Amino acid sequence: MNDKNFHAIHITKDKCIGCVRCLSACPTRAIRVGDGKARIIDQLCIDCAECLRVCPHDAVHSHTTSFASLEAFDYKVAIPSTVIYGQFGPTVVPNEILSALRRVGFDEVYDLSSICELNCAATEEYLNEHPRPRPYITATCPVVVRIIQRRYPSLCGQILPIEPPREIAAKILRTILPKALGIPAEKIGIIHITPCPAKIVSINSPATLAKSYLDGAISIRDIFPQILKALRKSDEDAMMRHLFPETLFSGTGMGWPLSGGETRGLKSHRAVAVSGIRDTMRVLDEVEGGLLQDIDLLECTVCPDGCVGGPLGVENRFLAKSRILELVAAAGEHAVVDQKDVSRLYHKNFLSFDHPVTPTEPRPLDGDPAKAIRKAKRREKIIVDLPQKDCGVCGAPDCRTLADDIVRGYARLEDCPFVKTAPKEKR
Amino acid sequence: MPAAEAIYRKGFSVKGGDFAKAGAAACEIKELLKDLGLDTSTVRRAAIVAYEAEMNVIMYAWEARMDLTVSPEQVHLIVDDRGPGIADVELALTEGYSTATAEMRELGFGAGMGLPNIKRNADVFAIDSAVGRGTRLDIIIRTNGHVRP
Repeated sequence: MNDKNFHAIHITKDKCIGCVRCLSACPTRAIRVGDGKARIIDQLCIDCAECLRVCPHDAVHSHTTSFASLEAFDYKVAIPSTVIYGQFGPTVVPNEILSALRRVGFDEVYDLSSICELNCAATEEYLNEHPRPRPYITATCPVVVRIIQRRYPSLCGQILPIEPPREIAAKILRTILPKALGIPAEKIGIIHITPCPAKIVSINSPATLAKSYLDGAISIRDIFPQILKALRKSDEDAMMRHLFPETLFSGTGMGWPLSGGETRGLKSHRAVAVSGIRDTMRVLDEVEGGLLQDIDLLECTVCPDGCVGGPLGVENRFLAKSRILELVAAAGEHAVVDQKDVSRLYHKNFLSFDHPVTPTEPRPLDGDPAKAIRKAKRREKIIVDLPQKDCGVCGAPDCRTLADDIVRGYARLEDCPFVKTAPKEKR
Repeated sequence: MPAAEAIYRKGFSVKGGDFAKAGAAACEIKELLKDLGLDTSTVRRAAIVAYEAEMNVIMYAWEARMDLTVSPEQVHLIVDDRGPGIADVELALTEGYSTATAEMRELGFGAGMGLPNIKRNADVFAIDSAVGRGTRLDIIIRTNGHVRP
């Protein structure tokens, strides 16, 4: 599937009562309320899930992969986001979590921290070889890629063209496992486990690959109860994992889901990390205005504090962050990945995008620039007539957006309750 | 010349030292040009020009008026400030030359790229400055007919 308009975020009509909370929370003003229900405009939605966070009625849902749907595969592989290591108390070590996932039903589970370290090293090589443009922007957060495609089209060429760790890991496994196991590639399911609703969007409609190497994304929230059950039933396993740890974790990679984690391992480049959707947009505005050219790499993650603040996690992000920082310190600074392997994969273009990020279809007021100018002028006039209360009663998030909708032909001035009554009261 | 109704005009006022609103006018200009369907490269050039010009006012001048005029053919921006003026315009147009204070540099400004960057991104660039009075920039960016269908 590669549908441009595929979205993870959906409104469940039965639960939506048509309040206006999601309206004002949406950073791209993609939501309207009409006939008592909220509706998302596909071309504007970037799947950031801000609406999901604020909905008090549980009416915003994200489509993620269900565990049951994995039955279609003969061999099931999980590659969980390193966020998962912060979801359990301080006594549960990462090896126990990986082992519990095996007991939940995955045939094999791979840690992503080493691949995160590999990505960081490859990024360093890319920056060394490409002195311009500046800053490059990391491609890990699928929402950042989509917001650039929609709102900052001139920055598409500044997205650093190295695939994120989840895709690199899946690509490596997809190359090696069929031969190693003697199982046809299509019978092996490689699943990401994530706190992020947008990963399923990048899997179903990738922005930089012909086809994603992943088969699905399960939310941490959905699989958490099963992991917890598996952990509780296994005191002996826990002891085994504590005494005979089998996986070597990368400290650099372990810190990846915290804001600044992607760039922390860079040795000779200046990086800046931004988190949160509104701050990300503010900084991208500056980059589009030509600022920040003295920065080599800009890491943007739209969730607060980085992926650890993803809405589909379980543990609150502050505790999760604290736990992950402990694990980063425990893993230490030493490299887990051999630089020679990084170089080899990098120079084979194994880690690169299939194709560059391209802008999505723009949305001017009119296809004819002269008409667009007329509409923009009309929009200014309408804005002046509106009360500037941004109440949302008309169904648009604010007065400016209502004016925009009116000139585009999607709404009427009478939709504003204040405009209707104003002549009687004032004039 | 396009018909008068196909010309969009808007004025912005910018206050010197108002770092809290830094970039607000430039951002609005950029969003507007996108709404008008101008091509990506024109929008980017205009955004850079507007951003640099606005930052110059905020960093050095007392106040300014930015007047934007857009037609399908061109983006015209006049930035007229009341401020200290520029003693040596030639020097100010040299890349790397800056009179920014240490504080401004700390904030990441003052690389001495402002005016040269504006000039580089403009198709027509005129500057008129008088010490003690102010500076006026007159900038045109042509859309070159690269308007989206």
